[in-house]
Amino acid sequence: MRAPRDSFRPMTNPVISVSSGLRPVLFEMALVIVALAAGGCGPGSGSDDDGGEAYPARAIEIVSWATPGGPSDLLARALAEVAPRYFDDHRVTVSTRQGGAGASAMQYLKGRAGDPHVLAVFTASGTVNMASGRIPFSPEDFTPILRIQLDPFLIAVKEDSPFRTLGDFFGAARARPGEVSISGFGAASAHFLGFARLRAEAGDPDVRWIAYEGSGDAVIAALGGHTDAVHTNYNIVREHLRAGSMRVLGVALPVAALGNTPTYAQQGFDAAPVHWRGVVAPPGLSEPLQADIRSRLERLLQDPEFKAYMEEAAMEYAVMGSSREFGAWLSAEVEASRALLARLDLIDD
Amino acid sequence: MKELFAGFATTFEPLNLLVVLAGSALGVFAGAMPGLSSTVGLALVLPITFGLDPIPALLMMISLYMGAQYGGSITAIAIGVPGSSPALATTFDGYPMSRRGEAGRALGISLFASVAGGAIGGLLLMAALGPLSRAALAFGPAEFFGLGVFGLSIVANLVGKDPIKGVVSAVLGLLFFVVGLDVLTGSPRLTFGVPRLMDGLGLVPLLIGFFAIAEAFEAVAGKNVERAPGGIEGKLPRPGELLRLWPAVLRGSAIGSVIGAIPGAGATIASIVAWNEERRVSKTPEAFGTGDARGIAAPEAANNACVGASMIPLLALGIPGSASAAVLLGGLMVQGINPGPLLLSEQSTLVHAMYAGFFVAVIAMLIVGLLGIPLWTRVVRLRRSILMPLVVGISLVGTYAIRGNPFDAWVALFFGIVGFAMLRRGYPLVPTVLGLILGPMIETNYRRALTLSSGSHTTFLESPISAVLLVLALASFLAPVIRRRVSLFRKESR
Repeated sequence: MRAPRDSFRPMTNPVISVSSGLRPVLFEMALVIVALAAGGCGPGSGSDDDGGEAYPARAIEIVSWATPGGPSDLLARALAEVAPRYFDDHRVTVSTRQGGAGASAMQYLKGRAGDPHVLAVFTASGTVNMASGRIPFSPEDFTPILRIQLDPFLIAVKEDSPFRTLGDFFGAARARPGEVSISGFGAASAHFLGFARLRAEAGDPDVRWIAYEGSGDAVIAALGGHTDAVHTNYNIVREHLRAGSMRVLGVALPVAALGNTPTYAQQGFDAAPVHWRGVVAPPGLSEPLQADIRSRLERLLQDPEFKAYMEEAAMEYAVMGSSREFGAWLSAEVEASRALLARLDLIDD
Repeated sequence: MKELFAGFATTFEPLNLLVVLAGSALGVFAGAMPGLSSTVGLALVLPITFGLDPIPALLMMISLYMGAQYGGSITAIAIGVPGSSPALATTFDGYPMSRRGEAGRALGISLFASVAGGAIGGLLLMAALGPLSRAALAFGPAEFFGLGVFGLSIVANLVGKDPIKGVVSAVLGLLFFVVGLDVLTGSPRLTFGVPRLMDGLGLVPLLIGFFAIAEAFEAVAGKNVERAPGGIEGKLPRPGELLRLWPAVLRGSAIGSVIGAIPGAGATIASIVAWNEERRVSKTPEAFGTGDARGIAAPEAANNACVGASMIPLLALGIPGSASAAVLLGGLMVQGINPGPLLLSEQSTLVHAMYAGFFVAVIAMLIVGLLGIPLWTRVVRLRRSILMPLVVGISLVGTYAIRGNPFDAWVALFFGIVGFAMLRRGYPLVPTVLGLILGPMIETNYRRALTLSSGSHTTFLESPISAVLLVLALASFLAPVIRRRVSLFRKESR
């Protein structure tokens, strides 16, 4: 029954359970009592006990700001699962720091400046939230390590929808302005900006974007016929595609599991909006340390267990040549998102 | 049928039974701890389930989810603090009953109703997975708006002696919910430039602030210090009484099943609606809120029925219907199980083991619950001025632990001060909580519906579901006023 991923068996290291089992909660409880009593706001800045020691000197913490069980949380857990093999058998834990649209996690990372034992999963939503000013941080506030995966956006409709292609969809919107709707995750989100780029190429017809708190809710709206289509990722609609209750009008980049489904490019669009996820570290890491973490993670990405996770989740590898390149790309992403948000009047320029 | 028997056989394997018992115990604990909830409990055991095979993993998660719905009522009854939000309605009658010294009776009724509701929810899941999931899809923006307004109309029955103060309290809740990012535009509202306020003030800090911290201030300030009369607090309800509660349990389960199956509606709304409907059909509505057995049975049956019902959109559509179901979905996906329209045909063994698991989980909850009652009834005997500060400490830690965010603990403290001020001036607290829960549902769906209809309000009447709900809401708002007028008129004519 678990055939596709029999090798993906996280309990081989006792670590994850330590990170999110009951014990650490008790530990964190103790911590917060101390912190509150001292009038502090949580753990202080990083320890200075590891100066000059070999890396890694102790357990690695991977910070996830996403909902437990969501795609970026699953990435964090997949990384933690195999990571001990590449970090000299040190424990690797996942800690969830939700809040402030990622601001809590960023703040935590900043507070751990210079500490190479903390890593965080960073995503396209992070750059968009930086661009919109929703979180007061910039890519300079942390050390980019590497981009890991691409998750292309797609547009799906209910099986009995009259639309067959993106052309049908946007054509209907041009013919009946304001009467065609599409649901998706968030407003001024990475998801919405992805759709907006596509819509711009179709001549900006009046398609109503109906924002939902979660991608699942957005799919329900389309399945129930309340909206005409949904803008999301393959994983979210996979089972409905297999069951034939939904169809894909177009996908930003080829996804193996989607077979011959036409891409945006094949339908004459230049935009290929994707969701992406990668790993960043606290600011103030020396060049050799950055290189060390990166090379360990690069080897980790080739681990058969991790590869199995990537395949099962239908994610594309998207590692860039160097951390520097990733960093420059991040800054460019923030700028591009900011320009797009300004053009759409979603932020003041 | 054969598959179901096979499912039971699987569930009765020793390891699986152990896992179900452990899940129930953890669930009851997570539910009872103010600050922790079924969602947090599930997130905590999620990594443990990664190491289990799919069936025990699933059984553990279900039994935890189930146990937490009952667990919430323990603290609601024993100390008047809802252990988690679905137990809010249980405080209305459960706490007054335990203050009378009948904590054991209240806990027994809650356990009985939870067990029955959980089993009925499981039965419904088995019987009507496909049709109900399709029915749930009928809920779009207009329908959710109707449901939200209907839920808020219950405030009319909760305002107490001074309706104006009740309305003020509800509006305060609506105001609190506005803080944070506007889902539909992504722009921050009432955040005063504080990034931490982007996520809003949150229901858990509000519940803890209002029911634990404010009550603790109240206890320390001199009120509420008297202990409940002792003697019969350990006494369980008689079987005859439980038998008489069947209609309330059935109605509660039905309401929980329907509302639970709608993705996004939730157990909190279901249990409050169940309490209100029970009060409405009762011949003695004035007894509700003073410790009426039916006022415990109906909401507790409803929130446990929601467990099975919330599996309907999860299993049939692959879409989680609640925050807890979302964590469960994550757990299933790690196991390589992808819920969706094909699950029942492709993973029949697993699905049937899960059906069987529902009934075993319910029995495990009964055992864990019965073992716990003598312990909890002793808590009731503690002096409030000692108990409440303890509750506050535990609650604050729980608030922090949920998201690893100390800011939430400060928000809880803020709500504690607001709640204390409201208590002192005679403002009821529950309408504020309802405002915070229902505000987002009402506002976002109102705006979504109008975006879809290009601004035409007739959209709310064109949908039959929404139209019926809105008419019911109007009736519910006006009922107390009309009742008062009628009784005044009768007195005058006499």
